[in-house]
Amino acid sequence: MSNNRFKIIGILFIALALFSACTKGLTKNPYASIDESQALLTSSDVESALVGTYAQLCKGYVYGGDIFVYSELLGDDGNIAWSGTYQGMTQIFNKNIPVNNDFVEGTWLASYNTINVANNVLSALDKVTEANRNRVEGGAKFIRGSLLFDLVRLYAKPWNDGSPASNDGVPIILTPTRSITEASYVARNKVSEVYTQVIKDLTEAESLLPADNSFFANKSAAAGMLARVYLQQGDYANAASAADRVINSGSNSLTSDYASAFPYNPNNPNQVVGNTTEDVFAMQVNTTQGVNDFATFFSQAGRGDIEIVPSYFSDYEQNDQRPSQAFYQASGSIYCGKFDMLYGAVHIIRLAEMYLIRGESNFRLAPASPIGGVPAVDDINTIRERAGLAPIADNALTLDKIILERSHELSFEGFKLHDAKRLQKSILGIAWNDPHLIFPIPDREIKVNKNLTQNAGY
Amino acid sequence: MAAFKKLTGLLWSLLLLTTLSVQAQTREISGRITDQKDGLPLAGVTVTVKGTSVSTATGADGTFSLKIPSGAKTLVISSVGYAQQEVAVYDNISVSLTVGESALSEVVVVGYGTKIKRDITGSVAKVGAKELGNTPATSFESALQGRAAGVQVEQQNGKLGQGIKVRIRGASSVSAGNEPLYVVDGVPVTTTDLSSNGAQTSPLADLNTNDIESIEVLKDASSAAIYGSQASNGVVLITTKRGKAGKSKIDFGFFSGVQEPTHLRSFMNAQQFVDYSRQAAVGAGKYEYRLGYWNTEQEGIDWWTNYVESRLKRYSAGNDDYKTYKVNTDWQKEAFQPAPITQYDLSLSGGNEKTTFYMAGQYLDQTGIAKNNSLKRYNGRLNIDHKLNNWLSAGMNMAFSRTLNFRVSNDNAFSTPLQSVALSPITPLIDPRTGLISGELDPETGVPNTNYPVYYNPMLSVKGAYYNTFVNRILGNVYGQAQIMKGLSFRTEFGMDQLNQTEEAYYGPITVRNTQYPRGGGFTSADQILNYNTNNFFRYFTKIKEDHDIDVVAGMSYQDQNHFSQGATAESFPSSAYKKLTSAGTKTDATSTETEFSFLSYFSRLNYKFKNRYLLALSGRYDASSRFGPNSRWGFFPAASAGWILSEEKFLADSKWLSFLKVKASYGLTGNAGIGNYPWQGLWTGDGAYASIPGQRPSQLSNPDLKWETTASADFGVEFGIIKNRVTAEVDYYFRDTKDLLLAVEVPGTSGFSSQIRNLGKLNNKGFEFSINSENIVTKNFRWTTNLNFAMNKNTITDLKGQELGIGNVNRAREGQPLGVFVAREFAGADPATGDAIWYKNTKDASGKIDRTPTSDYNEAADVVIGNPNPDFIYGMRNNFNYKGLELDVFIQGVHGNKIYDGGGQYMSASGSNGFDNQTTDQLNAWKNPGDKTMVPEARTFQANGTDPSSRWLYDGSYLRIKQLTLGYNLPKNVLAKIKLERAKVYVRGQNLFTFTNYKGWDPEVNADYQASNINQGVDFYSVPQLRTIIFGVSIGL
Repeated sequence: MSNNRFKIIGILFIALALFSACTKGLTKNPYASIDESQALLTSSDVESALVGTYAQLCKGYVYGGDIFVYSELLGDDGNIAWSGTYQGMTQIFNKNIPVNNDFVEGTWLASYNTINVANNVLSALDKVTEANRNRVEGGAKFIRGSLLFDLVRLYAKPWNDGSPASNDGVPIILTPTRSITEASYVARNKVSEVYTQVIKDLTEAESLLPADNSFFANKSAAAGMLARVYLQQGDYANAASAADRVINSGSNSLTSDYASAFPYNPNNPNQVVGNTTEDVFAMQVNTTQGVNDFATFFSQAGRGDIEIVPSYFSDYEQNDQRPSQAFYQASGSIYCGKFDMLYGAVHIIRLAEMYLIRGESNFRLAPASPIGGVPAVDDINTIRERAGLAPIADNALTLDKIILERSHELSFEGFKLHDAKRLQKSILGIAWNDPHLIFPIPDREIKVNKNLTQNAGY
Repeated sequence: MAAFKKLTGLLWSLLLLTTLSVQAQTREISGRITDQKDGLPLAGVTVTVKGTSVSTATGADGTFSLKIPSGAKTLVISSVGYAQQEVAVYDNISVSLTVGESALSEVVVVGYGTKIKRDITGSVAKVGAKELGNTPATSFESALQGRAAGVQVEQQNGKLGQGIKVRIRGASSVSAGNEPLYVVDGVPVTTTDLSSNGAQTSPLADLNTNDIESIEVLKDASSAAIYGSQASNGVVLITTKRGKAGKSKIDFGFFSGVQEPTHLRSFMNAQQFVDYSRQAAVGAGKYEYRLGYWNTEQEGIDWWTNYVESRLKRYSAGNDDYKTYKVNTDWQKEAFQPAPITQYDLSLSGGNEKTTFYMAGQYLDQTGIAKNNSLKRYNGRLNIDHKLNNWLSAGMNMAFSRTLNFRVSNDNAFSTPLQSVALSPITPLIDPRTGLISGELDPETGVPNTNYPVYYNPMLSVKGAYYNTFVNRILGNVYGQAQIMKGLSFRTEFGMDQLNQTEEAYYGPITVRNTQYPRGGGFTSADQILNYNTNNFFRYFTKIKEDHDIDVVAGMSYQDQNHFSQGATAESFPSSAYKKLTSAGTKTDATSTETEFSFLSYFSRLNYKFKNRYLLALSGRYDASSRFGPNSRWGFFPAASAGWILSEEKFLADSKWLSFLKVKASYGLTGNAGIGNYPWQGLWTGDGAYASIPGQRPSQLSNPDLKWETTASADFGVEFGIIKNRVTAEVDYYFRDTKDLLLAVEVPGTSGFSSQIRNLGKLNNKGFEFSINSENIVTKNFRWTTNLNFAMNKNTITDLKGQELGIGNVNRAREGQPLGVFVAREFAGADPATGDAIWYKNTKDASGKIDRTPTSDYNEAADVVIGNPNPDFIYGMRNNFNYKGLELDVFIQGVHGNKIYDGGGQYMSASGSNGFDNQTTDQLNAWKNPGDKTMVPEARTFQANGTDPSSRWLYDGSYLRIKQLTLGYNLPKNVLAKIKLERAKVYVRGQNLFTFTNYKGWDPEVNADYQASNINQGVDFYSVPQLRTIIFGVSIGL
């Protein structure tokens, strides 16, 4: 048995080597992600985070379009036949939204997710090179301000309902989340506080952003969003002057005809289509990034869930080109054709809206001299003439006509609900300030965060 | 030294190492051991002199010779898979062994070794080759269903190779893994689901069930804790077949048969659908008038009737045929196809004293019942064992497989065949306007229809699309084993599981309505998982002074897995003849990523047996994983157990009826690390590109203290045998308390995140299980045996710190309730006055009293627990009858007390108020007139009358199945001799032959594949039913 000694020694040696060889393998680093401490070290890191903010903004639940489609469904007063199978959308269309509605939850989560990325960008501005710093800060503030505005007008009482200083708005989040602490369990800010923050963010964005910024938000985008905010508040002087700044910036021009504002290529419906000259701000969509949910729900190339009922066209004038240029009939149904390119940019602010805001505001401010020096009727006629209609005479212009013009020009682009609230128009017998026309705070959020209060009626 | 005689595998079974030379010898006896069934010699049978370590093994011809001490009186004869026998000593002994599945001498594989069942103090269930073999099921877990107490097996649906849920003594985790650890011949195998189409596949489907010798399920902490951090959900040890020294065997097997759905549902026919749609139009008009949308009721009715008639005409291919119900398409029938199944097996095995081998190949060709679904699988295996010299042996197991799974879409896709049931019976399969499949071409536009039929026609995907998942896999290990000295051995194993999977999808232009690819599109992906491990351990056993048996195992193990994956999508092909991405006009996306994890472990186990009746086992494992942060990377998982064989005691030794009695108890800790990789790190991800400009975003919150989820388990059991162990039984009571749950904790969405992985919460499982094996009648020509197992488990989540998971779904994880409990409004039927759907309010008033008044306002009613998807108990029973060569085997299996939520109900059983989906015939019972009492609210086109989630679609999911029924005939010897065969058997086998259930859907064994998770259980959603299969088979041995 003398060789046994060598056997034992040999095997123990091998065993020892095997036993100790593997501890190094316990440290594994991810390949497709990086540690958060490595994420925001250089100017280019922070700029990439700003692009990441746009990417989150372009998700379907937010500026990919849902947030505007809700307005058309919840605000619909009989112009739409909904035949979709997304039950959450059906509930919104029926104006009977359960607190666990998946779209209500999805938009809330996606909005604050985007805001958190924006806040990360804003937290690391010191890393950004001088030359780019304003542009980066302005971009993040534009996105944060815009989303807070959309959240407050969907999830809280309208500005013009009672006292915005006492009505609950939505939580304002201004710092990035690194860990969940007591402070993460936020309460709702008041409606007026949210509007104040929105205006602050957008005003700063307007001053920081360059006039030309490719398809990213520029000065005009921030001013255009401000004009929309002021109009919602009924602050017509500020609305008119913000709209005036966009019109006079020269960055944009109306397309020659209405159809050209909504490009469609029947030969290649999957073509990627960017901004038109009229797009003050639009979300870019291509085959792998972003989504155009207007197309998803309105277009036959998408799900085709939204049909337009024939009676909708009854209040259009005879020569109006818009019904024929923006709508089409297929298999006995009428569809809105503004969004037929699946990879077309999502129109967020068109220049036409600015003319309508300036015109309406100046009309309301009369007899004060018009802001921008252009009489209200000229702005309305700019829109009318592009649609092939005869100009309207100054003395024939009424507020109703302006509102009608606005509803035709901006039809199904996401203005329906918020205009009804602003104008205090009831919808299918439901009062403009009825709780049914306000989203509930998502059930999951109420359950997770005891500091949040639910809206009345839910 | 004359020789150390090696006894290899048999040695393991006795845990003894013996030398012949050191014993005093007085005489030599010889004998021959045969198989009682066929009289053939049995090689490798262990013959031991009782009460000593003197033993030998039979040779290839079944003979042995043994020098025995003078005082020897009794020989113990044992062999794996046969009942142990004791016989008086005499020369030229001739013994025939009977197959003894229930025998206490049975060898049971445990972690890093084997034990005989008698000496086990933990809880281990064993299922053998005989029960598993030739089951017409794609994956071996299906064959395991109902065979072992406390092991719940549930196949998601009847698609081939799809996900299978296995729960051993209940679910131990909420967010981390709940599937057991699978170890094949010492290699922990890859079970990662790599499917990209939203429905899980089971990587275990790559294994050949006929290669499996036995499956041992380690259920309690004592048996499983040696697998430490991966053992909380139990461990399934799979041992493949090995060759035996002796005559070479050739076995050929073949079976072929047909499969069909276990059950079909009843949908409206053309006339019912048309009438019902019109009724719904009237309902919608009346309802909207009531809401004030119309000036008169008739106005509303007219508008909706007009609308519905125009839609009916559209869905009737644009003609008036629907008015006469001329077309009456059974769309459910169109979802299915004839489904043959065929399998061929060939195996060779044998060897000599030095080298043994087992080699086998299999070809499975299975067509699924869902249109376009089929699977082909090729398997090969070679297991070799070789003794290099008297102290060193080595071997290798190597298996390869190629699985071609031609799949269908997940249950939630318009393109999955069974969603065809939503289409209108008035819609013809072939559109008379074009002569093509309905929806394929709109003659007005020249492209596929966009709003005809009512939804995308899944038959277009059958014709114009495919989704293929192909797997190439190599699984195997090499080992070396050295006998260092008497009783001490060292074994080293290096194992590898290499899984390569490619997926390829093609969507032709006719699928544009579903895929939005007007000129076709496609997708490919490739995954490579390299999973290697090494086990190195010493084993020492000794017997001290007759009374003390000691068996020690100590070693280490390391596992490392790397997963690399890539994918690409493209669209627009020159024509539908081109299907590969290279021909696509637009390359739309490309991805690649990689992820890794590792485990390093040190383990030890001590077994001590005193006087052959007092048993003690201690084990511990010290484990580290890359998945946890440096703060808490290591964990320790100890276990202890003890047993007492009372029947060895004097006071019971003479009992006439009680032949065996053992009590046992165990307690220990196991862990769970079944979460994704890198869960503790705060991460950013570079997937934030916008308009082709790269971007990044935060993707995960950090938690450097993240650590193991730990389960403390206790098991108390009794095993007994009566009437010479003809009836043996095992009864176990256990509880398992899990703490530090690895939980995806929901956080306020305002933080920018929706959840974070934390150690939070507790849950427990309590249960009781028993199994009985009985040889009811054993005569020369007739044998009747029964195996029965039963298990009840109660799962309760005890602490989630007040939060609830799964909000937004019907299944929840809620404190005080079992995992996955159904939470929704409680449906109260139709308001007799209005036909509105009503729900019980179930709200608490100030005094805490529950308000049971019904309301038609969904938001006014509270969510309540409406049912539990977990069964109260599960069971299986097998009866086997043998008469001469004739064999009848009847196996029933069942689950009881669980509920099923039919998620498709909100479309197909929804009072026709949620679109134009064809309805199940039970909806004909809808409310019509004031005073009607019914559970089906008024039919109202698009008015969503009671379509929100509620107990409206909750059903009892209990079932009892004739799981398997086999009638076989073994050809008699004289016939075999004439045709020169050793063995030949013909059989007819039925799988899922009959199902007894009250469930109204397709099949009660279901979980919608697109959403299946720990929490989401027991949901049906257009899920393909299970397969009823009848096969005819032959097995021939040379």
